[in-house]
Amino acid sequence: MVRLKSRYLLCEVNVSDRSQLLLLDDRAIMVAVKAAVARTHGDYGAAMCSIRFCVKYLNAHTGIVFLRFPKSCYKLLWSALPFITSVETRGQKIPCFLNCLHVGGTIRTCQKFLIRYNTQQLHRMLPKCKSEEEKRQVRKAILSCSLTESKEAFEEDSESEEEEEEEE
Amino acid sequence: MSAAKVKMREKKMRNQPASVQYPSSSSNVESSTQNGADAPGTGKNADPLKGGLSEVHPSTERQKKTPHQSGWVRGHHKDGGGYTKEMPKYVTAGAFARARAAEVSAMLKAVRKTTSSSRVFEALPKHMRRRAMSHNTKRLPHRLREVANRMREKGLQAGSKKKKEQAKSKSRKARRRHGNLLLEFNRRQRKNIWLETHIWHAKRFHMVKKWGYCLGDRPTYKCYRACYRAMSSHCLLQDLSYYCCIELQGDEDKLLAALSQLTSKEAGPTFAAALCLSGRRQGSVMVYRAGRYPSQPLGPVTFLWRPRTQGSVHRQLWIWAHPTLKQDLLPELQTVCQCCEAVLPPAAPVEVNPTLEAESEPENTPEAKPVPGTKRKRSRKDATGPPAKKILGDGTRLRSTPVSWRSSSNGIVINDLTMEIVRYRLIGPQSHSVLVDTLEAATGCDEVPKSQTCSLWWPQHCSDEAKMTLHQQQADIFNILKGIYSTAELPSGTVLGLTVDDPRLTLPRKRVKALPCVKQAQEVDEEKRQKLMLEGVPEPCCQSFIWEQSVRDNVTDNKISEQELNRMRSEVLVPGSRLSPTPLQGRVPILLVEQPGKQVGHEMSSWGAGWDLLLPKGWGMAFWIPLVYRGVRIGGLNMSLKHSQNKAAPHFPRDYPDCPAGMRFQEEQEAELLNKFKRHPPAKRTNYIKHGCVAPFRCPWQQLAEEWEIIVREGGSQTRTTAQADAVTEERTSQQAISITKPPSRFTVLRNRKALKLLSAWCRPTTSKGQRPCRVGELPPISCEAVTSFLSAHAMSLVWVHVSLPSKGKPEYHAMLCVPTPDDLKALGNRQGTGGPQEPPHRDHFKSRIKRRKKDPKKTATPSVTPDKPDGKKADLIFASDLDTNASKDPKSFSESSSDLVLGLWPDPLPSVASHCSRVTVGWVTQGDFSMSAGCGEALGFVSVAGLLNTLLNQTSEHKGKLLLRNPTSLHYRFAKINIEV
Repeated sequence: MVRLKSRYLLCEVNVSDRSQLLLLDDRAIMVAVKAAVARTHGDYGAAMCSIRFCVKYLNAHTGIVFLRFPKSCYKLLWSALPFITSVETRGQKIPCFLNCLHVGGTIRTCQKFLIRYNTQQLHRMLPKCKSEEEKRQVRKAILSCSLTESKEAFEEDSESEEEEEEEE
Repeated sequence: MSAAKVKMREKKMRNQPASVQYPSSSSNVESSTQNGADAPGTGKNADPLKGGLSEVHPSTERQKKTPHQSGWVRGHHKDGGGYTKEMPKYVTAGAFARARAAEVSAMLKAVRKTTSSSRVFEALPKHMRRRAMSHNTKRLPHRLREVANRMREKGLQAGSKKKKEQAKSKSRKARRRHGNLLLEFNRRQRKNIWLETHIWHAKRFHMVKKWGYCLGDRPTYKCYRACYRAMSSHCLLQDLSYYCCIELQGDEDKLLAALSQLTSKEAGPTFAAALCLSGRRQGSVMVYRAGRYPSQPLGPVTFLWRPRTQGSVHRQLWIWAHPTLKQDLLPELQTVCQCCEAVLPPAAPVEVNPTLEAESEPENTPEAKPVPGTKRKRSRKDATGPPAKKILGDGTRLRSTPVSWRSSSNGIVINDLTMEIVRYRLIGPQSHSVLVDTLEAATGCDEVPKSQTCSLWWPQHCSDEAKMTLHQQQADIFNILKGIYSTAELPSGTVLGLTVDDPRLTLPRKRVKALPCVKQAQEVDEEKRQKLMLEGVPEPCCQSFIWEQSVRDNVTDNKISEQELNRMRSEVLVPGSRLSPTPLQGRVPILLVEQPGKQVGHEMSSWGAGWDLLLPKGWGMAFWIPLVYRGVRIGGLNMSLKHSQNKAAPHFPRDYPDCPAGMRFQEEQEAELLNKFKRHPPAKRTNYIKHGCVAPFRCPWQQLAEEWEIIVREGGSQTRTTAQADAVTEERTSQQAISITKPPSRFTVLRNRKALKLLSAWCRPTTSKGQRPCRVGELPPISCEAVTSFLSAHAMSLVWVHVSLPSKGKPEYHAMLCVPTPDDLKALGNRQGTGGPQEPPHRDHFKSRIKRRKKDPKKTATPSVTPDKPDGKKADLIFASDLDTNASKDPKSFSESSSDLVLGLWPDPLPSVASHCSRVTVGWVTQGDFSMSAGCGEALGFVSVAGLLNTLLNQTSEHKGKLLLRNPTSLHYRFAKINIEV
């Protein structure tokens, strides 16, 4: 009802060399975004970016980033994202660009989108596999994530709670 | 964030995925690569990565290790969600797929699983929610019902857990059962002891916890005036059992020699006063530390000697002291008497059994006269159960703490009889009629005691002829009391020993007001009454068996319980008639002590005289109710303060600022008042700085005495030359001057009789009409020489004064007593009835500092503050510049210590207290109120002797003793007349 509203941007970091992706760091992403915003929108943009902007999540393996912007100015900040050409991390400059996949009002919607997106990507990977070994692994991965439609989410939850209580 | 918040957040974020990244520090990476080199994989390139991703749920795995870092964590944190594994060299499709899958599952978990605080139905989409879902699980979709049921049961269990804890406490009925109730009561008085009348008081009074006791402060009903009327015309009853009694036993001369170190003849009669020593009167003395008169006083005590028994020099002395005084007095007594040898209470049975017996009695009610042997057995049995015995006396004291000390050298024994004796105080002119009405001299037991081994004390005494004649004499004197018109007619401090019947037997059916029956008694005999009024009680009649430990114990143990008494009453043939024969247990030795009323001053003399009733412990309520049924008013601590105020007597510990107990009291009071002050919002508080009140919550006596000493010393030469010299010199009392002086001696309260008499004569207006000028002739008239010689002895003294306001004004405590300027006195002479001068409002320069500090709390207050400009009047004085510099220095010194500034109060290093306002302060009021006996405001307080004499010297004889009084919350000075009453 009454809350601070934000927009969550689900972005993908695209790099030419996949192994460079592993060097990524949430601090580095943050710095890069801020710099880009400052470059494109000047002091006003930098100020906007300093309030409630945050990197919520980063997966260095897949290159998925959740960015949080205040809802009032997310369009302005978003418009600066294409100008990121490189991220400097650990003394290296990684040439990359951010591809925005989804814009959500809550993290939850982003997460839901990400699930769908990831499974889709895995399905796309499967026909492109070159060796049998790879194929096997990808299939396994697909299976592992499609099996999670478990109805017993709450059960697990309650069980884990019980354990906790026992520990206490 | 607080720990609880962190915990909550952790719980909430438990299921949220954390960022997945490698640790950022390069050194870490290097080391990890080394590790990788050390442990080569199975030959596959992707092995390291594989290792890294072998955990399918990286985030969950990590959670277990470091739960604090899980979930969304605000801001960046080092090695945030990083794997501890090394960074792989290559990325393979399989590994990448696995990473994707892992992410999916992490996200799935985040999306699916609700936070722990939410119920099942909260996870449902809004359109599927139904009313009362949490109550009725059937409203949930079928697939969720099972889970919801389980959760609900769990919640119920959790609820029942809490209930179980509560259920541990028994039902109300069980709790209110007598034994359990007593246990509970005993538990509750572990910290603060209850008096025997506690429950009676607790139902009717505001109770306060003070001095280790629970005491009634004031009644819940309105009775201030009624209590005053009772004190002045009928009778007011108070329970003073909290006063501590210390018993000294030993040879008379040795006791006196030891005690003489504690007192001084200069301050009035000592322990050795002849009348008191004979045991016929109760005395009161001011006790000092051994040999330290007059610098280290302890406090006032009253004492009572046991009358001599024939041919014995062994004496017994009771010293009654206030509980706050006891902790200082007892060690002092021990050193004086050389009693360091603690006598441990004799083996347990003696101490424990009496109480056990006393309690076991009501349990086996059918036995009218239980044989001691069987009782003991029963009590043993009972002892196995919970010891539900009512604590009599000081039960909170550990058994092992010694209550008695013996001296090996001089044979003196000190016993601590705290809570062993109940003391009631009846105040008022009719208290003797209340006593006469309530008490009845014990009836002898006619039937010869059949069993010689009777455990009761009275039958044994009855068999002794001498004791019976003594008892008869005492009873006669007690009967003469009926004929007395007012309690004050008796010599003050008269003691009367007596043995009385159980007063419960003569309890009236309705509450009645005891009235004197003078006419009826006048017939008795006039001359005996005259003799009693003139000479008091003859010595043998002051003897009482309450002095005997054994008798006291016997009486306490054999008290008939209320229940038993009621049973006996119900068996009487004619309902409501008196029990006859009186049960043998109901004979109580008591001691009646007359309390003197107002002894000083000329008006209302002997106001508030009364009787003290001393009883053995355990009999408190048995006497209390019958007394209450005689129409007395009951007063609390509040009333005893008013009593002493009307008597113009200092009240311990409030009015003994030089005693350790008084100092403690002042500290407590300051803290209490400050607390109360701080509870108000700043805008609704009195700004005492603006009122020119330096210390509204305490009286810095030491500083006052010091300042006046300096004023007098430095201004000694000038006083003769100019009349206004004191006005000049006091300006010099800056803090600088004080710091120069030699290490100051402590202030004392003047208690030297001769000096007080001299002062009293000096401050009396000599030309006043009603005054008898007889004594002035004997004493030297006030002059500079006399004053200097007086001050050489008592420069650092304070003197207790009685202040009355002839016109308007109601003094409050901590009101200032100031010296009027000659102009004020002239104005008073011109137009009688005008109020008094006004104090110009002061400026609060601390206010701005507090404001500034609020604005930027980080910065310390800068010392650039404009000094408090002195009033224009002061500016033309010689030392104006001197003062200015001082004043400008003062705030600077304050600003350094301005850590705890309170708006409206001076911070701690106080400015000069004497010369802070336009009129010079000489003292403060410690008690003040509208006096109903005088019909105007009256106050009691202390003034500095030096200041007072300085004032008196400069006043004309017409205005001798006129001072100004100003309340801390007012700017208006009122004229007041001071009296020193001896």
